[in-house]
Amino acid sequence: MATQDVGAGPRPSPAPAPAPFRITGTRELMLRLPRASPLVRLVSLSSRLTGCASRRERALLGAAAGVHHGRGTEGRETGKTLLWLPLSGAKMRNVFEVMLLLLLLLLPLVTAHAGGQPNSPPGKPVLTSCRSPEKETFTCWWKPGSDGGLSTKHSLFYRKESSDAVHECPDYRTAGENSCFFNKNNTAIWVNYNITVVATNSLGSAYSDPVEVDVVYIVQPNPPENVTVSVMEDKGWPFLRVSWEPPRKADTRSGWITLVYELRVKLKEEDDWETHLAGQQKMFNILSLPSGGEYQVEVRCRPDHGFWSEWSSTSKANVPHHFRRDNSTWILMTVFFAFTFLIVAWLLHLNRHNLKRCILPPVPGPKIKGFDKKLLKSGKSNEIFSALVVPDYPSTPSSNYEDLLVDYLEVYVPTERELQLEESKDPHDDRLKSDSSTSDSDSGRGSCDSHTLLVDKEAKEEARQAECGQTRTEVQRSLKDWDALTYAQIDMVGRDVPSGRVKTWPSLYSPLPRHSSGPLDQQSSLQMAKQHSLSTSSFLAQEASGESYWDVCSHGELPRPLRAKTPPHRGLRARSDADVSGAGLKRAPAGPRSLAPHTSEYVEVQRVNNKDVVLLQPVVTGCYQALPGEVYSKVKRVDSDNILLLQREAREEDGYPGAEQENTTQKASACVYAAVLVQDQMAPMVNGYVDTATMCTLTC
Amino acid sequence: MHLVSVMRRCVWAVLLWPNLLTSSVPLDCRQEQGGVSRCSSISQEKLLDRVIQHAELIYRVSEESCSLYEETFIPLPLQFQRNQAGYSCRTLPIPSSRSEVQQISDKWLLHSVLMLVQSWLEPLVYLQTSLDRYDAAPEVIINKTKWVSEKLISLEQGVVVLIKEMLDEGLLNLNHSEEALFQYDVQPEMVESVMKDYTLLSCFKKDAHKMEAFLKLLKCRQTEIYNCS
Repeated sequence: MATQDVGAGPRPSPAPAPAPFRITGTRELMLRLPRASPLVRLVSLSSRLTGCASRRERALLGAAAGVHHGRGTEGRETGKTLLWLPLSGAKMRNVFEVMLLLLLLLLPLVTAHAGGQPNSPPGKPVLTSCRSPEKETFTCWWKPGSDGGLSTKHSLFYRKESSDAVHECPDYRTAGENSCFFNKNNTAIWVNYNITVVATNSLGSAYSDPVEVDVVYIVQPNPPENVTVSVMEDKGWPFLRVSWEPPRKADTRSGWITLVYELRVKLKEEDDWETHLAGQQKMFNILSLPSGGEYQVEVRCRPDHGFWSEWSSTSKANVPHHFRRDNSTWILMTVFFAFTFLIVAWLLHLNRHNLKRCILPPVPGPKIKGFDKKLLKSGKSNEIFSALVVPDYPSTPSSNYEDLLVDYLEVYVPTERELQLEESKDPHDDRLKSDSSTSDSDSGRGSCDSHTLLVDKEAKEEARQAECGQTRTEVQRSLKDWDALTYAQIDMVGRDVPSGRVKTWPSLYSPLPRHSSGPLDQQSSLQMAKQHSLSTSSFLAQEASGESYWDVCSHGELPRPLRAKTPPHRGLRARSDADVSGAGLKRAPAGPRSLAPHTSEYVEVQRVNNKDVVLLQPVVTGCYQALPGEVYSKVKRVDSDNILLLQREAREEDGYPGAEQENTTQKASACVYAAVLVQDQMAPMVNGYVDTATMCTLTC
Repeated sequence: MHLVSVMRRCVWAVLLWPNLLTSSVPLDCRQEQGGVSRCSSISQEKLLDRVIQHAELIYRVSEESCSLYEETFIPLPLQFQRNQAGYSCRTLPIPSSRSEVQQISDKWLLHSVLMLVQSWLEPLVYLQTSLDRYDAAPEVIINKTKWVSEKLISLEQGVVVLIKEMLDEGLLNLNHSEEALFQYDVQPEMVESVMKDYTLLSCFKKDAHKMEAFLKLLKCRQTEIYNCS
């Protein structure tokens, strides 16, 4: 159709036009162009722009323009013009006219290519949208298509759902151009409108696609109005209160339209909005403000079945800075550190012992047997040292004699040597050893002690041993009955006066001398000795081989010099070596056991008198009787090493026979002496302590 | 003796006669507004509020089911041309524009609502049966439709009560003697059925909205007589 129109068009057009050119017979077009051809060009351009020019005018101007502009496109014409050019001037004008004619002939084609169909029915309009702001009226907009070069009139027709009557749009102007406004009277709710736009021009009309519209579903309200933002405080924390009003036209009061609102808020410098749905209320509190600053708020609304409105204009509010976030951070950190600290403290508390050990290593305390820390703490040095000093024989009378241990008293009576009673409270290894080297020449030492401290006992001892062997066994048996592990034994080497030796075996307890400070009976001393032995028996009972036994041997030879053994240390040491030490009470005194019967006579400690004199009495075979105290020997001195040096008294000869007398009197009865064994309780602490007492129990 | 017994009966009657006049109406009404019995303890306002809430809910559910149906069964090009197939919603003689609505009286508002409600009772039943015939109808749509038809019945009852309360009219007969608008024996083919159901749903949605709007307007008129336009 368009081409038809175009084709039909230009033919008649050149004819009625005022003739700036005329068509000659040769079909040459003589065109008299005005001199101001650029002006023509301008006019043509302007006329094109306004679009008001008629087709004819446009054709002419286009031809003129084409002459100027269209050279390139017209291949043939240029060719033709060129052909005509070499002609003469007048001929050239003719040629020019012909050329123009040809151009004009071809002009419609050119103009057709160049653009704009001059006359055509309009293009198809398109209905873009229909909107109702309040569900009472609505407006439809369309976009017109091409108008085909002619004035086109658009009209909108609608048809309601139920009826077939077609109506035209009542109002084209109110809503602007290309729009149709339906007022209240023409708006039916819940009714489908079938709307069509028709574009009409003189050549034809174009119908748009029909659109079904139900007003209810095309409601898009105006934005809410009067949006106010105010900063309020709630317990120190600020919050925003936003309030607004519904758009003016929407009738929410009567319930005709129900609106839901939505608002968004952001800080001025941020990019992202935070939206909140407010429902149907017209006020909203924004509580979650991260920090202070300027806040921007916008509100929009929507009916329950429609479109969202545009966002309202921005309302601003300044919120003061508050430290909510900082506070929470600090609180969190504080709690975290406190928790960590508590855990660490708890762990330290659990391991406090280990830590204490690490940081403050324990001071090694004294490991002395008998050392009493309590005494040390009390600070009484006397007591401390008295505790250390085991048998404080000469100078500490008040201690319990149980604590004092004197192993044994060895009295060695050699002919050449002095008789000495030795007492070693705290014998050392060297002494013992030296003694043992020299002491054991007496084979008849007896079962008490192989490391005999007795010296020089050979002949007599053998004899005596032979005698005494039986008695010894008897005594041993009796002693076992007694369960006495301690004894005081004085080994008397009797027969040979010059070579007689008496060795008193441990029979001296440190308590004894103490107790001797007071008036003591013979009996009492003996009793004490017994007691002491008994008390120590339990103490010594731990010995595995505490075979203290009584070595009682009675012998007939009375007058015998009783001599204390000269080398006290050695003898005692040997004895103690054989004996069980305080710590090593378990050590078997090998000595005592293997005491071979020998001919020694034994002297027991009767008592210790107040002069710290040990009164000895001869041991009667198996007899334990209270004998009148005979001062057997006298304490010579106390060594620094707690060695009691006894010496015979002046009347030792008296004493000796006296002892022998007693001995004989006691001969018959079998009794058991409890060898008072003084054991040094402190002994085990000393290296290699061997108590001087050989544990010899003699059983009756 | 005989006299004494008669006398006693008379005394009893005299004492108890006020009770005869009172009807045995429970003091507390049933909470749903679907109660047929007259409920005198609920105020008119409250009753109207409840009816409005009911209508709102029905509309919302119908809207949801319609959009679901649209998504599931209707191809996109046809979604905006509801009446292409020629199925249009039934139009009843009820006001359809705001101006019309403003002009009619309360009485007509209520009656229009009632008419609407009653006109949809049967089609919804038909819709249910039609949906059951589908192979892959989503459970949601079927449940919603079922729910809506139940609620519509109770809405009807409520409107009847309202009419009685507000307009002081007698109980309307609730029997629906309208001619069957849908033939159940005819089973259209699938595409046709789909389009028909779709039309039904969308029309019902519209009518539900109508009911809601009328009732709200009625409420407005009750509270503010002069400002409701």
